[in-house]
Amino acid sequence: MRPLAQLQGVGKVYPRVHHPRERLRAFGSLLAGKPPREGAHVLSDIDLEVRQGESLGIIGENGAGKSTLLKILTGVIRPTTGTVSLAARTAALLELGAGFQPDFSGLDNIRMKASLLGIGRRELEARLDDILSFADIGEYIYEPVKHYSSGMVVRLGFAVVAASDPELLITDEVLAVGDESFQKKCVRWIDRFLDGGGTLLLVSHSMYLVNKLCRNAMWLHDGRVRACGESHAVTQEYLAWHESRDQEESRSRDRVSGDNGHYRVETLTLGQNGDRPLEGVLDKSVHELPVGDDLVAELVLRSPDGRTPVGMFGIVRADETAVYGVSSERAPTAAEALGDGLFRYRIRFPELALLPGRYRVRGHALDPEGLRVCDTAECELRVTGQSHELGMVRLQHQWQPED
Amino acid sequence: MQRNARFDPVFFRNLVARQIRQDYLENITGFAWLILQPLMLLSVYAFVFTQIFRARIPDDGGVGFVPYLAIAFWPWTAFSESVLRASGSITANAALVSKVAFATEQLPLATVTATFLMHMIGYLAVLVVLALMGTELHWLFLLAVVPVLVLLWLLACAIALFASSTQVFLRDIAQILPPLMTFWFFMSPILYSPAILPDSLAGVMNWNPMTWFVGTLRSALLGGELGFSLAGLVMLVAVPLLVVLGLKWFRRFSGHFEDFL
Repeated sequence: MRPLAQLQGVGKVYPRVHHPRERLRAFGSLLAGKPPREGAHVLSDIDLEVRQGESLGIIGENGAGKSTLLKILTGVIRPTTGTVSLAARTAALLELGAGFQPDFSGLDNIRMKASLLGIGRRELEARLDDILSFADIGEYIYEPVKHYSSGMVVRLGFAVVAASDPELLITDEVLAVGDESFQKKCVRWIDRFLDGGGTLLLVSHSMYLVNKLCRNAMWLHDGRVRACGESHAVTQEYLAWHESRDQEESRSRDRVSGDNGHYRVETLTLGQNGDRPLEGVLDKSVHELPVGDDLVAELVLRSPDGRTPVGMFGIVRADETAVYGVSSERAPTAAEALGDGLFRYRIRFPELALLPGRYRVRGHALDPEGLRVCDTAECELRVTGQSHELGMVRLQHQWQPED
Repeated sequence: MQRNARFDPVFFRNLVARQIRQDYLENITGFAWLILQPLMLLSVYAFVFTQIFRARIPDDGGVGFVPYLAIAFWPWTAFSESVLRASGSITANAALVSKVAFATEQLPLATVTATFLMHMIGYLAVLVVLALMGTELHWLFLLAVVPVLVLLWLLACAIALFASSTQVFLRDIAQILPPLMTFWFFMSPILYSPAILPDSLAGVMNWNPMTWFVGTLRSALLGGELGFSLAGLVMLVAVPLLVVLGLKWFRRFSGHFEDFL
């Protein structure tokens, strides 16, 4: 398999251009043949290789450099350092706005985009009907694109790209815009495209899509590659990091009451049987568990002095009513030392007795003496399903007399 | 590096066609204005110069002021308007430039080409009007001036390449360029004949490429003569060279446009 795209040591510095004087200075240095090296470091040291037939998801926070990376890859901008080589015969970039000119009609923009994608005039005539039916925006095609909804723009963009039969498809967070049925259409198309040997680079905030469409994933953080590998592993790591960061934020509020934070919660993750992630369909931060299923919670604690902290799990209802709590002190198994001062506790609640509703699962880090709580992390949990029982917990019961 | 980074005839044709549609055909009167606007300007100049200043052309060969002016005025309008329009073409197409990889020099070149093409239609129309009004034109020489007009187009391309790429960094170009072009207009023998200038100024005037263009067009279309001159030879070398330099200048910056848009 030949590499279709390759980045080596790529870095990008956006020069400061706010002030006219800065623009003038940048102009001068470019004229002298020296790209400006001062400014915002958006990307540094990126190595990337995409081989034919591969599917790579790129994830990361807003501002992590994902779009810049794609722009460099497609040649829209030149990297400040490093080399880019794109061997793909045809590479189509699909992103919001899709490079459409707002004042021109959809049809004009199709022509424009098609010629940019290397579709000849006659070819375009032949494929125009396909494009129009894929986009499915009706008479709007004669209206200026500025009157389109963002979903319609994406429909049009995707339709042209699909017709261009690309060797490498690069999409930047476009699927999120279309409506449900168009999203499904796109995902089906990408599935077929991948089955046919196509290569995909997908930037998305939807871990579901990344997992579904991509075999591998790359996590960009502050312009650097934080993790790269099998997509499930990378997305899990990414989500865990997000959760821990969210807790960091809420904790920084809670922690005003003095310095009792030697032992920290590194991550708290919830899983089901077989560690299937419990990511919610709508809101990623809310975990979902069907009523009566097993719940597995994993707590990784950081100890500054190497002593094993005590871990504690607790469940409260959304209104803070305590449901259940258990500490590792009396646990039959010790914490698993992961090295580097990290310790892991895992707990499993077989056939979790919680009734449908919203809960919070908490993990606490206590000092090794188990005397005080140093740190807390929590995950939102929604138990889904239907039940005719009342309350929070299903208690074991038998109706009498038994038959 | 990528196929889109090269000049692409299909795409270029699309750009030109789109530009024409946008600038001239969007509104019904757009095309009429293309001819009306220079005609109005021409009549203003004709009135001011023939009635108020009583300007006379010493070497007009009896054609009168209006045809003398018109022959030079249209090519100048094509030239100056295409340079002015093209100078903002990168910033005006920021959405395209920052989203799609393509050879961006096609933008100013397409704008120049579209503007030029449209004005050449106007030029032809004006020549017909002049002929109908009794000016003796040497139609055969129309073919001979095509290369001259092509050279003028190339000159506009060269300046547009410099101006449009520089404007991305120095937005002031948009303010500086129009008065500069007006200055150039009055410094060129369009409204007057170089023959009325004192010798000291005439020598300077010969360094203005527009002097050669205007003079060649007049002597060909009005006088029916097209001689080879040293100035012509210099233009034949200098203008293409300027285009190459303009391209070099443009490409030095084009990879960084996105940072500054």
